[in-house]
Amino acid sequence: MKSEILYPGAFPMVRVELTAGETIKAESGAMVASSPTIDVESKMEGGFLGALSRKFLTGEKFFFQTLRASRGPGEVLLAPTVPGEIVTLELDGVNEYMVQKDGFLAGAETIKLESQMQSLSRGLLGGEGFFILKVSGKGTLLLNSFGAIHKIELKPDQEYIVDNSHLVAWSGTTSYNIERAASGWVASFTSGEGFVCRFRGPGVVYIQSRNPGGFGAWVRQFIPVSE
Amino acid sequence: MMSPNALCFGEDLPATGLPCHVEISPTGLTVRFEEQSPALGELSLPFSAVSVSAGGLDHDQLVVRWGLAPHVHTLYLKDPSLIRSFRSAAPPELTKHLDETAATVRRTRSRNRAVWAFLLAVIGGLVLLLWFSTDVLVGWAVDRIPLDWEQRLGQSAYQDFLLQQTVMKEGPSVAAVQEISQRLIEHLADNPYTFEISVVKNDVVNAFALPGGYVVVFTGLLEKAKSGEEVAGVLSHEFNHVLQRHGLERIVRQLGVVAVLGILLGDQQGLAGVMKQIGVELFSLKFGRAQETEADVTGLRLLYRAHIDPAGMVTFFERLSEQEQGRVEWLSSHPMSAVRAERLKKEIGSLPTTVPEPFTFQWRTVQESASAPARR
Repeated sequence: MKSEILYPGAFPMVRVELTAGETIKAESGAMVASSPTIDVESKMEGGFLGALSRKFLTGEKFFFQTLRASRGPGEVLLAPTVPGEIVTLELDGVNEYMVQKDGFLAGAETIKLESQMQSLSRGLLGGEGFFILKVSGKGTLLLNSFGAIHKIELKPDQEYIVDNSHLVAWSGTTSYNIERAASGWVASFTSGEGFVCRFRGPGVVYIQSRNPGGFGAWVRQFIPVSE
Repeated sequence: MMSPNALCFGEDLPATGLPCHVEISPTGLTVRFEEQSPALGELSLPFSAVSVSAGGLDHDQLVVRWGLAPHVHTLYLKDPSLIRSFRSAAPPELTKHLDETAATVRRTRSRNRAVWAFLLAVIGGLVLLLWFSTDVLVGWAVDRIPLDWEQRLGQSAYQDFLLQQTVMKEGPSVAAVQEISQRLIEHLADNPYTFEISVVKNDVVNAFALPGGYVVVFTGLLEKAKSGEEVAGVLSHEFNHVLQRHGLERIVRQLGVVAVLGILLGDQQGLAGVMKQIGVELFSLKFGRAQETEADVTGLRLLYRAHIDPAGMVTFFERLSEQEQGRVEWLSSHPMSAVRAERLKKEIGSLPTTVPEPFTFQWRTVQESASAPARR
């Protein structure tokens, strides 16, 4: 799997080159165009129950697409639904990433996707829901975001605070606690931040420069209400 | 080089960690780095030079730390078998600390599991409780709706309805319906309602009661009925819908748990708002089968008390059942008329026989006036 990000910025697309017989997984609906040698299959990663649990628990799409270069080498163009950057990660087999539910775009067939249940406080207040995707294995992983993607590198024991709705992915070696943004409850919410995540290194945290929920709320005020 | 099984972190290393291969020996660990970082090459760390802790998102990774600030390095081990062999090889003072950490992790995990289990149990319990207690809850809520609310609701719907209809003001049919109603109402046990009954010129073979005691009888019913006793049976049934507050029960059921909770919290204002909206839909309210049966049985007892021949109720249902051939009972909300007639016959058998007192009107005159063109 060789990938190249075209038109980097708000409206990127990924070109993935596949050798004969190679397959990749992609978010369902992600394929834009492909060579005629590529077959699209729908595959329920982790079996039917796994797919079902992912659908209901993480809100991820029920099916992932499998794109297979079954009739010789070819290329596929992939794009996410929302405007925003795409980032490529090379998983080395040791590093694991937690990805919030809409962050996964595509990955090599060798990477493994699992739904993981978060602890109650993280699920309730973390802003990613109770279930997140755990991505492990070895190979290329493509993440997409809403807005630009920003990488925060944390040295051992280094801390960083992130607004929970801006999280895209974080490595498994980091840990985080949910905290109020300000010292008082009222100030936490009037400051517009509510809850934040205090990350602790070592590891990497990917954040998105826009907040999908906030954007939705902003758009809503312009939608005419019937009645 | 063997495949990496750990990540090494440090000030001079990338934030994603440097993949490395860790081997455990009886005296310590050997860390081998990949070719691209030859400066590090191979490291031998005796157990005496390291400290350990738990780390990572779920505190399930073993963190090995060595060196002095600012040259501290940490290794993150994730592979369970590697962690096990580390723990068995390491000296007790290191593992003792690890045991505590492991215990903490286990505690956190089991606490999380317990919290989840508790939460699921509570949610499941609530769902079950709601499922089985709807009847109780609805009944409880209905009991708390004040009479004047009910009357106001019924009255506005009743008046709206009559405005669009031709109401019979006088004549033998109106007098007959009044007489029948009077007989029944006199024999109602603790009746808080003031019944208002109107005869409406319409060919529909029906009568209906709105919450609060507003009853409409269509002339079609009077034309189809063979006697005053048959009409009395229908009216007695409708009166009992009102007395048992069946309409309110249906409304509360339709509004759902939110309304019930609203009533529980004493928010009758809010309920009135919602009721105003659904007052329009009052006419499309269908009583449930249980409610119909209840109204039948209590209606029959009322006929007894009023000394009206209950056979009229039965014959009326039997006549209706002739038109209903082919309907399947459990599909319909009204118990099928034949079944109702059977049930009523059985009920009559269990009651003592009384001598019925006939009505004063001539049924033929009533029917003639009912089928005559309306005079407004």
